[in-house]
Amino acid sequence: MDPMLTFLVILIGMYGLSTSKNIIKSVFSVTIIESGVILLFLNLGNWRGGSIPIINGAADIIADPLPQALMITTIVIGSTVTALALMLCIKVFHHYGTVEWREILRRGEGK
Amino acid sequence: MIRQGILIVMLLAIFAVFIVSLSDLDQLYQTSADYFREYGAEQTGSNNLVTAILLDYRLFDSLFEAGILLIAVSGIIWISKHDIEEKNARFMLDKFKTPDLFVTFSRLVYPLMLAFGFYIIVNGHVSPGGGFQGGAIVATAILILYYIDAEKETNIGMIVTVEKFLYLTILIIASLSIFTRGTFFTNVFPYDTHGGSNQAIYLVTLNILVGFKVALGLWAIFTAFLKEGR
Repeated sequence: MDPMLTFLVILIGMYGLSTSKNIIKSVFSVTIIESGVILLFLNLGNWRGGSIPIINGAADIIADPLPQALMITTIVIGSTVTALALMLCIKVFHHYGTVEWREILRRGEGK
Repeated sequence: MIRQGILIVMLLAIFAVFIVSLSDLDQLYQTSADYFREYGAEQTGSNNLVTAILLDYRLFDSLFEAGILLIAVSGIIWISKHDIEEKNARFMLDKFKTPDLFVTFSRLVYPLMLAFGFYIIVNGHVSPGGGFQGGAIVATAILILYYIDAEKETNIGMIVTVEKFLYLTILIIASLSIFTRGTFFTNVFPYDTHGGSNQAIYLVTLNILVGFKVALGLWAIFTAFLKEGR
């Protein structure tokens, strides 16, 4: 059941991405999708309900360390991509004076 | 309104496809955990299996992860460099608006956070943590430093130069295993069965390098955003 709930988070992000009228809200939607993907991978890696993947001779069943290692990559890259997108947002605001999608598209057609 | 209805129907269709595809995934994710539990510690010398994967099995992935961080930092700095005298945006980090309680508490917490970050980095192979996580904590501590001293001047170019040299060092250390083991991008020291203390040296070294690189990268990103507001 848990992976389906995490997939609902991804769907919420997709809904926000396709309906938001503000660039910053779009960036946040991408971040929400990314959080859903991270939760989904961690859930699938811990399907059996094991303990943390650290060898100390105690645990018989451990969570799969491979999705966790991959998700570290996702978190680092996601944070940097979010920072890059927000910096582009600042530049767009400096250039157009607004961060609304429709306004920017309208001015782009006007030129 | 009709468009939103169609959108919701499409998203629910995706959800249904996902549920159907998940029905027989039970067997897929059960085997690799057993393999890593069986052989991971003795093959890599790391108690923490996530660090074992990041720094030994899939070091190639980690190198490109660090490379993407470097590229993104360079892109952010290049984008923010041009018209820096724009005065539309105003950042909220103002020393006169920050509460005194917050500043005092930041002074108290800053060395603790720095020490905690270094602990996470150095102990990445025996306990939860590692270079990336500890680097993020150290970068957060540096971020708090800006609250203590808002007028602090930092040279982004020097930070990025140091980061590039750290990345080159990581690449060189990761490539050294071609001489000792015959393959690229794995542990430098050869496989030993007792204890694996030599391999721990490699893990700690690479964790420290990666940690400092990530910390410097996040510091450069934050400084670029700060300079955008001034």
